[in-house]
Order: sequence, then C-alpha cells, then structure tokens
Amino acid sequence: MGGCFSDVRGGKDAVGGALPRPTEPNAKNDGAHNDAIEFFYREHGAYPLFTQLELSFSASKLLDLDVTSKSDPMVVVYLKKNDGKLEELGRTEVILNNLNPVWIQKVSVAYQFEMVQNLIFRVYDVDTQYHNVPVKTLNLRDQEFLGEGSCVLSEIVTKQNRSLTLTLKGKNGHGGLRNFGTLTVHAEETIASRSAVEIKFRCAHLDNKDLFSKSDPFLRISRTVETGGSIPICKTEVVDNNLNPTWKPLCLSMQQFGSKDTPLVIECFDFNSDGNHVLIGKLQKSVADLEKLFKEKSGVNFFIPSSRADHEKVLKGQLFVDQFCEREQFSFVDYISSGFELNFMVAVDFTGSNGDPRKPESMHYIDPYGRLNSYQQAITEVGQVIQFYDADKSFPAWGFGGRTANGTVSHCFNLNGNASESEVVGVEGIMAAYANALRNVALSGPTLFGQVVNRAAEIAARSLSSNNNKYYVLLIITDGILTDLQETKDALVRASNLPLSILIVGVGNADFRQMEILDADKGQRLESSTGRIATRDIVQFVPMRDVQSGQISVVQGLLEELPGQFLSYMRSMDIKPLTFNAAAQASTA
Amino acid sequence: MAANSRTLEIKVISAENLKLDRKSVKKNASVTVRTDTNSQFCTTDIDTEGGAYPRWNEKLVLDLPTHSKSIIVEVHCKTSSGVRTIGTATVPASDFVGEYVPEGYLHFLSYRLRNHKGERNGIINISVRMKVPEMYACASSTTWSHSTMGFPAAGNKSFGGGVVTGVPVWYGAYQKNY
Repeated sequence: MGGCFSDVRGGKDAVGGALPRPTEPNAKNDGAHNDAIEFFYREHGAYPLFTQLELSFSASKLLDLDVTSKSDPMVVVYLKKNDGKLEELGRTEVILNNLNPVWIQKVSVAYQFEMVQNLIFRVYDVDTQYHNVPVKTLNLRDQEFLGEGSCVLSEIVTKQNRSLTLTLKGKNGHGGLRNFGTLTVHAEETIASRSAVEIKFRCAHLDNKDLFSKSDPFLRISRTVETGGSIPICKTEVVDNNLNPTWKPLCLSMQQFGSKDTPLVIECFDFNSDGNHVLIGKLQKSVADLEKLFKEKSGVNFFIPSSRADHEKVLKGQLFVDQFCEREQFSFVDYISSGFELNFMVAVDFTGSNGDPRKPESMHYIDPYGRLNSYQQAITEVGQVIQFYDADKSFPAWGFGGRTANGTVSHCFNLNGNASESEVVGVEGIMAAYANALRNVALSGPTLFGQVVNRAAEIAARSLSSNNNKYYVLLIITDGILTDLQETKDALVRASNLPLSILIVGVGNADFRQMEILDADKGQRLESSTGRIATRDIVQFVPMRDVQSGQISVVQGLLEELPGQFLSYMRSMDIKPLTFNAAAQASTA
Repeated sequence: MAANSRTLEIKVISAENLKLDRKSVKKNASVTVRTDTNSQFCTTDIDTEGGAYPRWNEKLVLDLPTHSKSIIVEVHCKTSSGVRTIGTATVPASDFVGEYVPEGYLHFLSYRLRNHKGERNGIINISVRMKVPEMYACASSTTWSHSTMGFPAAGNKSFGGGVVTGVPVWYGAYQKNY
C-alpha cells in the first residue's frame, strides 16, 4: 500500500516554460482557450456567456505519507456534473517533498455565469516516477490520496481577492480525527494573447549553499497579482553543482507574464532533494527590463531580504539574459480569418448493426412523420458547424460497410450514388444523398474506417501540390464497434503528418471504448502494424448521447480539439497566416 | 536524366523512453542513420543532458540510391564499456515518398525502436525531406511560405523574410517513377 518513493529526477524538471515537441498542440501556453468556439458564437451574434479562468493552487499542512521523505503532492480538478459523474478538468504538476506546496501549473476552466459549477479538488501523493512523464498519464490508482475539497466556482470568483481556502477532508467527506490540511484556490481571468518570449538565463558568482559540493541552482519566476502576493508562473530545470549555471531557454506566453511591464519576481534557489530548497537570492524585473538586459549585455545583482526592516543585502551573484526573442503564436482564428480554409468530408456508417432501416428501432429508420433519426440528427447538428467553417459548402460524402447496387460490399462508396463525383452541396445535400443511399444500398458489414481515412488522406495530400492553406476534416458518423482496430490505426498513423483531422461522432448507446483508444488523449500515441508511430493526435471522438443529454453542445464537442490539431500542424510546418506573409513580402519589395 | 540517387535531409529530433538492460538510459545517446544498402551513414552528436529523453535537433544528409527501399535508424549509447545499441527502426521509403504528397514535403515521422531481442524500446522522432534537384524547382507566386528548412530550435528570426531556397510548389511535367 503506497511507498516511500520520491522521484528526485522528476523534482528537478522545469515546469511551465518548456518548449514542446513541434508536433504537440501547445495547449499549455494557450491556456486551453478555445477561440474556435467563441468565434462561432460571436459570428452568430451570441456573445459567449462565459469567461476563461485559470486556477492556481497552494496548500499547507498536507499529510505526510512518504516514509523516508515527504509527500510529493499533485492536485486533480474535477467538475461534478448533474448526474453526479466527475469530469476531470486538469492537473497541476507534481512537487517534490513538500507539505506546503505552491503549484505552478494552472488549470483552465470556463466560468459560466448562468450555471452552478461544482468543483472537486483532490490532492494526491505521487509515488510513481513522473520524470518526463506527462502528468495526465499518471494513474491515480497508483498514488496515495491526501485529501479532498469542494466548492462552487462562483464562490471563488466572488471573493474580493479571488482566493478561497478549503479545509481538506477524507474520501467520504468526513474530516475524522486526522487533520488533512488546507488547499487554497485562486482564480484569474486569462487573456488571449499571441505574444510569447523565449529567454535564456544565465547566472554568475552565485553563493554556495551546499556543504560538500556546490549549489544546485534553479530559477523560479512569479508574477505579482493585483490583489497582492505573487503567483509562480514557471521554474527552470535544476543544474547540478554549478555556481555559474546556464539553463535551457524558457518560453513564456503573455498569458503567463501579463504584460511586458508587469513586475516579475525572479528567485534563485539551491535545490535540495528533501524539498527544502534554500533561497540564494531574488530580484524583481519586468519582461521589458529583461529585454534591456539582453540588449545591453549587462547583469543585475540578486539581493536577499534582510531581517532589518527595509535593508536588503546586495549579493555578488548576478543574472544575465543570454537570449531574448519575441515570437508570435498565431491563434486558430488568425489563420481562418486570413484565408485558411477548412474543408469537411463526411462518412456514414452503413453496417448491419444499425438495424433494418425498415424497422422503427433501426438507427437508419426514416420516420414518415419527419422525426429525424440519430444519423439525421447528427448530420444536422454537426452540419451547422461545418457549414460555418467550410467556405464552398461542398462536401465529399461517403458511406462505408454497405452493399451497393453491383452486389459487393464497399467500405468507401459515394453517398450520392454517383460513380465518379463524391461531392454534395450543403447540409441539405448530405441529407438528400443519405436518404437516397438508404434506398439503394443494403446495410452490411464489417465496420472498417481504414478506406475512408485513406481516401481523405489522399485528398489532403493532393491539395499540398497547389497550396498549403487548406486543412481537411473528416467526419465519421458511426454506431460503433470497429471490426479491425489495427487497420484503422494503420490508416490514422499514415495520415498523421498531413493537414487532416478526423472527428468520430458516435450515435446510439454502444460501448465506445475503442474510439477512446483512437482519440489518444491519455497520452498513448497510436502505433501501426509496421512500427510507425503517429506524428500527432489527429482524432477526436464525440458521443452524440453527451450532446443530446445537454452535457456539452455539439459545437463544443466537435471544436474542442480541432484548433489544437490544426495549430500543431501549422506550427510544425512553420506555416503562418496569409496576411502575415503578404505584409512581410510587401516590406521587402 | 535519371539520377541514381536522391538526397535526403533527415533531421533527428528526439527520442523517448530509452532503456538499456531494463533501466532508463542516463546519458550519451546518439543516432546513426544509414541506407539499407549500407552505402552511407551519418551520426549525430552525443546528447549529454536528456538521459532517456534525448534531444538532438540535428540535420543529417544522406544520398539514397533509387533502388534503396528503406533507411535504418539506430540509437546508440556510449557507456563505460563501449558503444551499445539501444534500438533500431526501419523507415520504409514509402513513408516519405508518398504517391500524392509533393516532393520536398517536410515529413514529420516517428517510429517504434526495437532492441536486438525484438522488444520495444522507446520511440524515435525525425523529420525527412527529399531534396529536389535544382532544375525542377520553380518559385511560383503562390501562398507557399518560404520557410527556413526544418524549424528553428531557438527562434532566431534574423532572416528578414527573404526567400531562402526554391521549394517546388507546382511541377506540371515532372513524373515520379516509383
């Protein structure tokens, strides 16, 4: 039951400012801000009734569950839904050996004014290795539970200093005799910004705080908050045994540091594996000041606040900025409004598991009184989104798993019955082609996505010859169980480095666990049978029953991962929005 | 004129979860890329800091003979007892010479590494681009952004927005023979 293990290597990792792998969606720096959804609502005249918030956490007097060291705490945030189910919203990082931690990693949540949002916070002591492991893949069953707190989001927001301190309780809500400690949650609005800076720090002549060796320094950067106090935004990795260290470059978004003039507190600590890091020195500079340090190639001295009232001891140790570079991180809407096009394609499941279309229980039953079946509902609801984003409203539409007029089962036939052209116009076109296909195609099987994915990949690849401002989205509407998971994985892996995303919409009540494997959100990259691994996660899965029960809107479900997948492609290929290029060319002409 | 070899630009980006004898690699990983005909090979520098998750971001150039079917990527580790192979991956040429994808496309690819026993041992991330012979390059006036090769490791945008190399965007008459 549990252990005394503390992952010291994990404790030395940088947090909050690392440069991600080029093909990974840079979700952390974007603060999970989904401007695609906001844009959709705004253009329809509905201003979104929510604000994006970031929650930061600190705790005190946590339980010590590690035998030879202290607990290594991490917070997991859940939203309690109407049916009592918990939906995980995010996690902080793991802090080494600390019963009074101040976490750096923030959790984003949309504060919806008209809803009561019940949040549950659980603190865990991480006993497994977490060095270089994405926090979201840590299995909570392997960790030890330290305490739980809950509140309604509006309670935090309506406090004057936007902070709420909760007393942690045991698993069933009882305090019991044990003192679990307290958790403080602070909420702040996120500002969507596309500026980011990349800074490389170096120090010289740091004081030695270790007895038999040299200090192991790392920097922690915090931002001062309006309501007083400061919130940490990132920390560098630890450099062992070095009084003149250089750290890996940090990438900070304006969301993290506020503005170029916001004062930042930079503290230099000596790392100790027992969690009691010793402060070597601190200083206060804004990003604009750091830029000046870079340009003048000068250093600034650290100081130690002294016990005497306003006297600070100036230290020999200095901070230098060896690299400073501003970059722009364009948002999804920046690309779309500059002329990038999303092109949608639709594929409909014609397998026998849907049931005989002549019977009312079938998912393909066309009701004579006009009530839409599951597929028609999905097409209509999804259609409003894709019509909005697809400029020419002309969609290739296919069916799979059906027996066509010539007697053979096809896993990619044109829905409109046309032998050569697969395109239909508008959502009405898809509906008409669908109804038409039901009359001419017999439901069959098995359920295979591979061919449809390959066809979509072919279209996306062909488009690259003429330009690079198109991005393709394949919508697969299915009732569920895949017959050949590996074949689908192979097709997805092959398509993973193309400008393509796959949205799988599940209708009906089947067990969609397989689909969740394909939507590699838990961190497991898809692997093909030939040993190739998916370059990026291009799949997203939306179960229609979540939409119909009102848990999420279809817009939200579909557009949740799409901007991230789109941006990961554009950024890795170094493709910028069109207006940016035009301006650059004009200036050099 | 049929060239008997094509030039490949391979950027060895990073590797993940490397183990040696069931224990995570501590440091000194490097990568060798060679053609399956063994006609040529290139090696990256040693990564001293990343441990089991090394980053190289190093570009290697290889000439791939036209009859070659794949390239082999090997990850090594320099230990006190010598250089040991952590794992190997075979990259089939069909992964970067696509039927529909244009020449010169920057392919980001990742592969499962397997050790000498055939067991899975980590992932290698690379990018591959076929260099197109200059006579076929045409800088047409499309929206293709003439980006720098690969991607900047430390965003140093001192290029001033000038066009660097002609990347063929449209090649009407060129037929592929694969």
